[in-house]
Amino acid sequence: MRKPYQICLLMLLVCLVPAVASAQSFRVQCPTSTITHPTATSNNSEPAYAGPTYAGTSGYPAAPAHVNGAIKCQQISGGDGYSTMGDGTQTYMFSFGPLSGISDIANGLPGTEFPSVFNTVTPGLLQPGDPATTGITYNGAVGLVPDRDALAAGSCTGLCLDGHVDPRQIMDVGVMNGNIPAPLMAIDEDDEFFLTLTNVGMIMRPDLFEQHTVHFHGYPNASSFYDGVPDASVAINIGASFTYYYLAPDAGTYFWHCHITPPEHLQMGMVGQLYVRPRQNRATGALYAALQQQQLDLRTKCDSTTDILCSNPLPAVNTGATGGGKYAYNDGDGSTAYDVEYPIQIHGFDPSFHFIGMTFNPEEFADMKDKFFLLNGRSYPDTVTPGPLQTQSADGVNHFSQPLPTIINIPAGKKALLRISDLDVTEYQTLASIGIPMNVVGINAKLLRDQAGNNLNYNTNSITLAGGESLDVILDATDTTKYPSGSVFYLYTPNLDHLSNDAENFGGLMTEVHIN
Amino acid sequence: MNATKTKKAISKTRLLLAAMVAMALLLPATAHGAAPGITGPTFNLTAQPAYISQPDGSMIYSWGYGCRVAPSGFAPAAISGATCPTMQVPGPTLIVTEGQTVTVNLANGLPTSAGNTSILFPGFSLTSTTGGVAGVLTQEAAPGGTVTYSFVAGTPGTRAYYSGTQGDLQVEMGLYGAIIVLPAAVPANCSTGLAASNLAAEAHWGEHDFRLSHAAYDHAKSCYDREYLFQFSEMDPDIHYQAQAQVAARAGCVAGAAGCSLNVATEPYHPAYFLINGRSMPDDMDPNYAVEYPHQPYNGNPHMHPGEQVLLRVIGQGRWQHPFHEHGNHVRILGRDGNLILSATDPTSLAGPLLFTTSTTPGLAFDGIFYWTAKGLNWDAYGHNPASGDASAKLSCTPDANGYNTSATAAINYFEWCQDHNKPMELAPFGDVPGGGPTTLPDPNLFTNGPWYGGSPYLGPDATLRATGCSAGTNAGPLAVNCGATGSTPPSGTIANSPSGEAGFAFMWHSHNEREITTNNIFPGGMLMMMLVDSREFVIDESN
Repeated sequence: MRKPYQICLLMLLVCLVPAVASAQSFRVQCPTSTITHPTATSNNSEPAYAGPTYAGTSGYPAAPAHVNGAIKCQQISGGDGYSTMGDGTQTYMFSFGPLSGISDIANGLPGTEFPSVFNTVTPGLLQPGDPATTGITYNGAVGLVPDRDALAAGSCTGLCLDGHVDPRQIMDVGVMNGNIPAPLMAIDEDDEFFLTLTNVGMIMRPDLFEQHTVHFHGYPNASSFYDGVPDASVAINIGASFTYYYLAPDAGTYFWHCHITPPEHLQMGMVGQLYVRPRQNRATGALYAALQQQQLDLRTKCDSTTDILCSNPLPAVNTGATGGGKYAYNDGDGSTAYDVEYPIQIHGFDPSFHFIGMTFNPEEFADMKDKFFLLNGRSYPDTVTPGPLQTQSADGVNHFSQPLPTIINIPAGKKALLRISDLDVTEYQTLASIGIPMNVVGINAKLLRDQAGNNLNYNTNSITLAGGESLDVILDATDTTKYPSGSVFYLYTPNLDHLSNDAENFGGLMTEVHIN
Repeated sequence: MNATKTKKAISKTRLLLAAMVAMALLLPATAHGAAPGITGPTFNLTAQPAYISQPDGSMIYSWGYGCRVAPSGFAPAAISGATCPTMQVPGPTLIVTEGQTVTVNLANGLPTSAGNTSILFPGFSLTSTTGGVAGVLTQEAAPGGTVTYSFVAGTPGTRAYYSGTQGDLQVEMGLYGAIIVLPAAVPANCSTGLAASNLAAEAHWGEHDFRLSHAAYDHAKSCYDREYLFQFSEMDPDIHYQAQAQVAARAGCVAGAAGCSLNVATEPYHPAYFLINGRSMPDDMDPNYAVEYPHQPYNGNPHMHPGEQVLLRVIGQGRWQHPFHEHGNHVRILGRDGNLILSATDPTSLAGPLLFTTSTTPGLAFDGIFYWTAKGLNWDAYGHNPASGDASAKLSCTPDANGYNTSATAAINYFEWCQDHNKPMELAPFGDVPGGGPTTLPDPNLFTNGPWYGGSPYLGPDATLRATGCSAGTNAGPLAVNCGATGSTPPSGTIANSPSGEAGFAFMWHSHNEREITTNNIFPGGMLMMMLVDSREFVIDESN
């Protein structure tokens, strides 16, 4: 239930900020071409990997020897929203929501889009709660409109899409559209990634003039400017947008979260998933040879004798594997091949902290105690409910609050990659597999391999992660005798008190693996 | 002293936050760190009580090891003003060399009612124990008594030492510390090549060498240019209040007499203080041996230059695990508890994992290597601008075999990643940095600056002053009128990392159990420190 003064305050904020600043406060950025990706028409798909971007040691302004990767863009809102817990409780969150790829997100896909998709004008007017409200199919940047002033001034022609947005559309869709987990992001190595964070304000907490940020957790050699730590950088105020710019780092399972008052904003739900697919997916022919090609670009090579922080030197054994599949890492030997992938984020909610967060009460950190244990924002049995979960928010509108089920469907005889990350802020969490071993191939977005090229992947039935960690697990169902079609296995936590949904002694951190 | 935990209102929390940030800003913008300690190989220690300071104003009754008499020496030599009080948390860092026979004489100066105390040296085999009385895990010193432990420091690496007597209470009270064993023979490659270039770059700017050695192990892959020691622990103040009250109630009692003992409940456990080297943020970023912390001499305040191999010596000293997240890059784990992890097929190759979150585990020490360079940003971190009239904006970048500018040891951009040299980030910058890049930054009025924001997206005072229109002389930008002593406005008025002073890239290193970056329910605090990557013109001085 919004109180009228809250709405007034928010509108005041939205109006005041542009009055102070000379530039438009909400805007998106998604260039169709850049220095690194000079040909606009080539940036809307991933080209095959043909060789090093820069051979030798020469770099800019030398033209790329081969243009690799593409341009990807995404817009997210920073604000608040509600989600539904496994016992039916409606829970208040500080949260991010999708403002691009809204249909893809609702379908459990990343909201990361090529420029040709991102830079499309909203079809008609989106309604609060969309895409849940009207069922509209749209993956472009919410709010994107031609810049009429620039058109009138003759400073641009054609569609005149220069990142100018209609703030009304941003607010209609962005307010209270929070998701748990936050919108999924996926990029490919060599991509340039333009991530626009639009701060729509937390309408249930108008007393908080909170900024939000994106911390790309694990980005190697990060700049502090785009690292999202407000103490060390800048943070975007309510009523404005900030575009983060990243060259995709080494392949792996990363994740992202807000870094404002982390014990509060992370517990309240501002956590999401992000992974980077390897160059090797785009290689044709021998994988070993493709990895040798990557050694020719100093940015992508891994020489263990000079770089102590690279994890994928040439494998000790050339298996002769050839490309064409999907891989977790640039392994050069096909050891991380998989057929289907599932991002799984572990998190925990302390319901009393969330209630306090909604009701302006003092917060305690030391004795924070999670009572809901979440896989992709849901507890069992919601984890195996297909499609997006929706929650009615305080605006009276249903929003897709938890788009990601965690049903692991593996086609018989195939392999599934589980990209597991943990952003719990209170304790370590264990996830175990009954019946089908977990093959751990990567930890903290790095291939498990020693400097001599020996693979260090291992089988286990239980993994334990702290908040701030990730690992990659392959469930190998190629043995159809052991794992026949129709069989069901379980992923669950042996932290047995976490198999609960608050007071219900049932549910919690658990989901199902189906062999189809 | 109030034994109940105070519940803080949010408004109060935020007020305190503002006050703490203001306090942090008052600190001089100098850098301090390294892995200081005392040298042996004979150490005369005592276990005594004292009060340790927390940033919420509390003085917490604690027990710690300290020096009974002045130690043989302090290391590193470049840190002056070193002290070793009779009680400190963590205990003195014992620095020895591989192969030495180490002798530790421990005197029990704890209150009589606290009973016996002792030290365990996990990872070492005691060659002799002299004096004391028999305990469960080791020989103990009775109240007022002594015990002597001897062992050979057989292999290099970082290890923990801690009380082996009633550990649930004594370790909680602060009886723990670190032993660093330096390799007997430093591999030759740790003093030549890039290691020598890095040293030459330090020397050019008059920087001291704060290392204890040039290598962590007897292994060519364990070279380092800079080092830090971080000991993670947590404190439940109720346990300390109980101990304090019981010790006071039993003052003057006779050892062994009925009732001359403590009965402190150490469960259920509700820690409210989360410490790095015995201090909570922001105290951990004050200097080593700062007078305001007479019983917490060691800080947590890492700094480094691009390309330096930085050795992290990290120990879990509490009873909980803490996921220590290093922003900025991964850490290669070299070894744990002095056990180097090598490839099964090639002993010249490392096999420890690469982690961006390095969990600390009770009683476990690890050594790891971290570095930061701007490799892979796809823009020039120094904002070089070939069209500028400013010579330092037009420096060259000559890549070595790995792509870094390492031949010019006297240059500001030593160790620049050359593939992105001159590559613009901003489409239309308003300062003296290159344009034509991929992104547009928002109007500075739309964002909020952090106290450790260097003032621009670029690294170092030279780049930041150019990027904000504050270059000197003919290159002064249109905003030069706003350029004051604290830097440029907009966008920044920061002091902790000012645009004209340090202007480093700041990264938060912290526990990712985020509730642990609080001090007794106040954010920010606890297990948090800011690591700064500094351009070469900023002199990292870990001595003050």
